[in-house]
Amino acid sequence: MLTYSRMKSVGVQKQGEERRVVSGVLEDELYAMECEIAVNWSTLTIEAVQARMKRFTTKRCPLAEEVFVKAEGWKLGPDLDSRIKKELGRAGCRHMAILMVDCCRALARAEFARDLTAAREQEPNLDAKVLLEDFCGRYPDLAGYLRFR
Amino acid sequence: MILDFQMNSLVTVEPLGQGLWRVTARYDDNLFAAELGLEIQLPALDIKRAGIDVKRDVVGLVPDLSNAMANLVGVRVGQGMTKIVRGVVGGSDGSDRVADLVMEAMEMLINALTVPQLKQAMEVASTEIQYHRDGPKVYLNDRVTGDDAVKLMAQNPRLKDSCVAFAGLDT
Repeated sequence: MLTYSRMKSVGVQKQGEERRVVSGVLEDELYAMECEIAVNWSTLTIEAVQARMKRFTTKRCPLAEEVFVKAEGWKLGPDLDSRIKKELGRAGCRHMAILMVDCCRALARAEFARDLTAAREQEPNLDAKVLLEDFCGRYPDLAGYLRFR
Repeated sequence: MILDFQMNSLVTVEPLGQGLWRVTARYDDNLFAAELGLEIQLPALDIKRAGIDVKRDVVGLVPDLSNAMANLVGVRVGQGMTKIVRGVVGGSDGSDRVADLVMEAMEMLINALTVPQLKQAMEVASTEIQYHRDGPKVYLNDRVTGDDAVKLMAQNPRLKDSCVAFAGLDT
């Protein structure tokens, strides 16, 4: 019989040319939480973070909600994962940090998926690897961050 | 606003008997989908079987990982596992995203093994709570682990200062 499971679900939306919004939820036996992040895409900068501890194990857990606001002003890029895990996860909540890492990476992957869909409307047989090279040229900070391999 | 990209992930942990545990990690987004399976033996927590089934790889960069999966057999869940998994599964010849999936599966086994202790702490040393952002009609948190139990748990070197719940509780 199943003794433990963890579900995470993340959704990305484009709000105009500049703004990207991602929302994520995490639920397992012990915890339920959600976060929403808005990013300015032209600067790859996190503009706003909302984190909510929904179900938790200690009365101090909700204090983590305020810690994650510190990510406002941070940029998507190679060092973002470790900053979230070390600076926010340890000071706030390790589980919320994992969800936030997934949300931020989904934002970058979503942008590539959006570009690929648009490019294949013009050229249905376009090799995704060719577009990826172009994408990484336009967003060098995301080259190692997308982690498609 | 309509979503144009979604990611869903589900990791499940189940005992198979005689100390053997199965961890299954499923990942699915618009571009990539895979299911990873690990079988891990207690008490040493060593991997007995590992397999990956890549169901979708639109970009096409994830290589054949059958050798890497075979090389995971014998790797132990515990201290130092990150470096080992990154070396065996990730890197220039491997797949960093599948290495992430393996790491997540291993961490969820640790969580699963920790849950009974946390549940016990809730049962024997819990305190009532009414959280202001909970409700107003349905409350998800009626009880939480009591302060004394939290202080006791914070003495565990693995938990001490690991998050806001266990920070600054030295006295």
